[in-house]
Amino acid sequence: MKSILAALLCWISASAIAQNGTIRGTVIDDASGETIVGAYAIIPGTSYGTMTDLDGQFNLSVPPGTYTLQINYISYASMSIEGVVVRFGEVTLLENIRMKESSVQLVTVVVTAEAVRTSEVAILSMKKKSAVMMDGISSAQIRKAGDATAVEAAKRVTGVSIEDGKYVYVRGLGDRYSKTTLNQVDIPGLDPDRNSLQMDIFPTNLIDNIVVSKNFMAELPADFTGGLLNVETKDFPEKKIFNVSIGVSFNPQMHFNSDFLTYEGGATDFLGFDDGTRALPGLARSQAMPTPFSGASPDEVNRFVRSFNPQLGARRQMSFLDYSAGISFGNQKVLGSDDDPESTRPRLGYIFSASYRTDYKFYDDVIYGEYQREIDPDITELRYATIQQGQLGERNVLVGLLGGVAYKTQFNKIRLTAMRLQNGESRAGQFRIDNDGAAVGQSGYIAESDNLEYNQRSLSNLLLHGSHVLRDSGWEIDWRISPTISTSDDPDIRRTAFTLTAVDTSFIAGAGGNPSRIWRSLSEVNAVAKVDAVRNYRFRGREARFKTGFNQLYKAREYEILFFDIQFFGGQSWPTNDPNLVLSPEYIFPNSPNRIYYQSGNPNPNPNAYESNATNTAFYVSNEMNLTSRLRTVLGLRAEYFVQRHTGRDQRYASGDFVNGRRLDNEKVLEALDLFPSVNFIYSATEEQNVRFSYTRTIARPSFKELSYAQILDPITNRIFNGSLFTYSDWDGNLTETRIDNLDLRWELFQERGQIFSVSAFFKRFDNPIELVRIPEQQTSTEFQPRNVGDGMLAGIELEVRKSLGFITPALENLSVNSNITIVHSQIDMTDREFNARKLFEKTGQTVTNTRQMAGQSPVVVNAGLLYTADSLGIEAGLFYNVKGRTLYIVGSGLYSDVFFEPFHSLNLSFSKKLGKNRNSAIDFRVNNILADRIETFYQSFDASPQPFSSINPGRAFSIGFSHSF
Amino acid sequence: MNKLHVLPAMLIAALVALSSCNKDEEETDPTPTPTPSGTVVVNQNISQNTTWTSNNVYQLGGRITVLSGATLTIEPGTIIKGEAGTGANATALLIARGGKLVADGTAEAPIIFTSVADEIKPADIDAGNFGSPNLDPTVNGLWGGVIILGRAPISASSNNGDVSEVQIEGIPTSDSNGLYGGNEAADNSGTIRYVSIRHGGANIGAGNEINGLTLGGVGSGTIIEHVEVVANQDDGIEWFGGTVNVSNVVVWNAGDDAIDTDQSWDGTLNNFVVVAATGHSFELDGPEGSYQAGQTIQNGTVVASAGGRVCEDLINVDNNSIVDLSNIHFTAIVEGQRLNNVTAAGVTFTNITFDVEPANLGTYVNGAVPAGITAGGSSQANTSVLGWTWAAQSGGLDGL
Repeated sequence: MKSILAALLCWISASAIAQNGTIRGTVIDDASGETIVGAYAIIPGTSYGTMTDLDGQFNLSVPPGTYTLQINYISYASMSIEGVVVRFGEVTLLENIRMKESSVQLVTVVVTAEAVRTSEVAILSMKKKSAVMMDGISSAQIRKAGDATAVEAAKRVTGVSIEDGKYVYVRGLGDRYSKTTLNQVDIPGLDPDRNSLQMDIFPTNLIDNIVVSKNFMAELPADFTGGLLNVETKDFPEKKIFNVSIGVSFNPQMHFNSDFLTYEGGATDFLGFDDGTRALPGLARSQAMPTPFSGASPDEVNRFVRSFNPQLGARRQMSFLDYSAGISFGNQKVLGSDDDPESTRPRLGYIFSASYRTDYKFYDDVIYGEYQREIDPDITELRYATIQQGQLGERNVLVGLLGGVAYKTQFNKIRLTAMRLQNGESRAGQFRIDNDGAAVGQSGYIAESDNLEYNQRSLSNLLLHGSHVLRDSGWEIDWRISPTISTSDDPDIRRTAFTLTAVDTSFIAGAGGNPSRIWRSLSEVNAVAKVDAVRNYRFRGREARFKTGFNQLYKAREYEILFFDIQFFGGQSWPTNDPNLVLSPEYIFPNSPNRIYYQSGNPNPNPNAYESNATNTAFYVSNEMNLTSRLRTVLGLRAEYFVQRHTGRDQRYASGDFVNGRRLDNEKVLEALDLFPSVNFIYSATEEQNVRFSYTRTIARPSFKELSYAQILDPITNRIFNGSLFTYSDWDGNLTETRIDNLDLRWELFQERGQIFSVSAFFKRFDNPIELVRIPEQQTSTEFQPRNVGDGMLAGIELEVRKSLGFITPALENLSVNSNITIVHSQIDMTDREFNARKLFEKTGQTVTNTRQMAGQSPVVVNAGLLYTADSLGIEAGLFYNVKGRTLYIVGSGLYSDVFFEPFHSLNLSFSKKLGKNRNSAIDFRVNNILADRIETFYQSFDASPQPFSSINPGRAFSIGFSHSF
Repeated sequence: MNKLHVLPAMLIAALVALSSCNKDEEETDPTPTPTPSGTVVVNQNISQNTTWTSNNVYQLGGRITVLSGATLTIEPGTIIKGEAGTGANATALLIARGGKLVADGTAEAPIIFTSVADEIKPADIDAGNFGSPNLDPTVNGLWGGVIILGRAPISASSNNGDVSEVQIEGIPTSDSNGLYGGNEAADNSGTIRYVSIRHGGANIGAGNEINGLTLGGVGSGTIIEHVEVVANQDDGIEWFGGTVNVSNVVVWNAGDDAIDTDQSWDGTLNNFVVVAATGHSFELDGPEGSYQAGQTIQNGTVVASAGGRVCEDLINVDNNSIVDLSNIHFTAIVEGQRLNNVTAAGVTFTNITFDVEPANLGTYVNGAVPAGITAGGSSQANTSVLGWTWAAQSGGLDGL
């Protein structure tokens, strides 16, 4: 700390005397794409010279002028960069100086400064020589494409698909087998129903790069199987940045639409959090919640009911456009005295970024359906039990703040980054509910429902990160400590459904239900500490590398649902069916006719609250070496000791039955020490071609929610999630991890200017996969439980091509295709229970077999892009198509058929143009969902027309953005 | 190399410190609520033979189950009160398959299931005042209800009868005591006589409530007669298959349907009065499996509206329903109420009378008026045996 203070003082004095200009650059090994530490950057014939630091970067202060810069490094061909113009007080940036290993023919390479500036972005060469099969996108590429959030950026990565507009999956594997890290550390997902993190909360101006690893390596966490997506935030700007951007987006179906549904929120909704408008009234938590029979006076009951927000109905109000704005600035300063040698002077970098976004979405035809099979084997068509159809309005606010400082000497760097994301989503819906009494377990009714919801999420992350190069011993050390606190709250979910009968309109508990409200809260703490050490050495004269590291993770979650419903102390009488009149003072207890009071659905202790925590201690070793000049091998072994504990109780215990009820008090629900080997061979057939082979073992662990006693009712769809700890006649309550063996084979061909062609084949075997299973015993409501199902496997191939069309005719030089296709065959061996349940509903002409596709696994993922790039004009344009094949979403059972995701054909167009003399302004234009496809899931059964499980129409959106760098 | 050893050690120390921050949870055990003397709070399932005596009031602290092999005997004149709650917090008395309830009251000393909000005392029973001293007969949803499950056949959703057990409505599937159905037609779940169930029907989720009296797969060895259900938020009595016969019934102010049958209940409902349900007066569904059986519903009177409460329709059957309806009189019919679906092949009507003008009879039937349904008529129930009920004592059955 002291030295940083001293450094700050020096910085101030140093700035005062700055009269020179600065050359900054990054030196990269052309073959491996890795940065070179300790290379010399000199201006021949002068005394100006310095050395690259641990990031491969150098900083050279020289008087204004035009120079030839020379880069030297042992065993590499020297490089002369001509025409480096240095202006007074400005930074001349050479981001991408690529050095080639020297050969007899090659002594000195001469290039121009202009050539260095425009050369390709580093990610592709990282990919070429990386030991892991990876793909990625850099901030420069994101900028070029004009992506606003990490989701849009991640979409461009090979094999990636997006679900619900915010979740990123790799190779079509479901959520369970994907993982997201931030700056290489675990952070909690904000949605308790998901394993992966939603990516739409990261504005792109905070992102340095996004890298997807498709196979496991010992230094990576073992709990991913499809892909590990890492988002690296920015740390050290190469030069002063001061960037502002604004954008608007227009969707003709959703915006300036006077039918838009909303409801009155709080004064701070526009900042993404609730100001207390939706807070739970204080007495509601109390054991002595005032009710007509709790001993409270009628006046106390009346006041208590009035302490709830009386707004129960959605209202129509014209929607506005989506709009966004962002600002980021940063710089680096050279500290120390001007008399010190350039390479020894420490540098301080800082960055700050803020972004704001508000989106309006209006879905004018939303469908949620419950369908059943007929008992008669000759009737194949499905029949409905409940259809909810209506409209839904959403307003989504996202605020992101990121600040960081980094301090760097030649061989040491320490950075501190703090990030805060705040997201508030307000939803209002109106639905007509048609329940068919002739369906099994249903009583039959028509209801009209108003649903008001608010979800606020926050994520606060701190990262302390150090890296050190120990020159003498050859070790490189990287350590990170990162605590994260995240919350996700749903304050005051309100559902008010009038049941309409032939004779009147009222609330019927046995039909549309009584008005209810729910408060849901989740908070999670993650703390990660890790250290990685790398030593480069030579094995039989060839480069080799040994890695080892230690990683400790602690995470803990608290979750609670509180449920309240309106009761009528006696009969009901309503002049209209306006939900906003329900809580009028004249209807509140003790006032007749409706005498409204609130009843608590929350026993104490609450069975719908739990606390879980987990620790994961990991250690690994890995060795990479060249066996021959063409064959490289990486062998690694990772050990993880994982313990998960749960505190919770079932309903029996909560209702006071301490004998038969079950309760866990911070007890272990999962404990295992696993070894994860990783075996990789990379054969470089030629300089441009690799053949890769790998075998790895990975794991997928049940989530906190899955290993719990939680019974979570979704108030809108009336679907219930049961934690796996509950036992059934065919389920013992012991949910275990899924262990996966992975085999990968890939051939890749690299061509100049980032062109690539690759073919991969992969095979995975799943031991005890977990899937969400429909509980057949329950026929009135829809209940699911996560269970280990029969063993599974999948086999797939993946094709990637990134190719300029210049080979057809030079006129097409600026056009390129960037496409990838993944085709997967997956198979689950059904348990006897599942097979028998399916067999019972076998239709005439149908043959039920005992295998099926894996839930969540898409059979096909296609990403196709056609890009036009004209650097001379500053134009970048692209047409992108993305689709995922029909995917099993919910495993059906007996009466209930399987539910599948229908392919969503997403076709998007983007165009951006740099403006101004220095090209420091940019304008971009985009059209999303050009085909105006719907996002739908369907019940599918033998020889039956598909019937909707859910269906929404995202519409077509046009957006325009403007950014300027000062 | 030194640094290399020091750094991880520091990190481990930091992590251990973090991990030990692991919160000590202060989970408060539910504090026993102070109860009036003579009140016995029941919080645990009943696993051995137990008798509840009329000098006490029994307070249900949760969903109390009489487990298989156990018999709960309730003396005549005993009052049972369910604690308040909804959803997971709802209280109920559940008789699991193999368990028995012997609640054998008398016309002079009926057994009363009600809410803790009800101030009724044993002394009131002794004095012959069976109504609630403080709650209106329309107040519902204060607690769950009485659920009796047996091993008699049900027609559940399967094409060959292999799925012979399913989970009863209102009980989450995580409680396996909620399973019912089997192959023992003569199964005996005990005796329920002179029992009044009031103010229940707590909500579990939309369309998923607890009926006043739920009978799931209850066998013919069970005796159920002289039963009253008052102000239940869901249905009055609902049968899910089974073979039990039920007689001398009053369903008053049901929040949903009054008489609800599903899954081929193969029994008879004889002599009953239904007053002012909010849903269907009769919601009679057909088999859901290949097992086909039906019921007989006879000798009853339905008051279709009273005190501002109006039932949604008169009789609602599905296309595959199997039921013989005879000697039933509907009175206080209002405009809009109808007999639905008259074309179901398995449904027969004998001497069903609507208290409406003969010329208007057609407007109260959805479709052509079937044989057996006429205008006019008079009360069919024998109310003389129902005099013990709260409905009768408060004058609710006057004139029937």
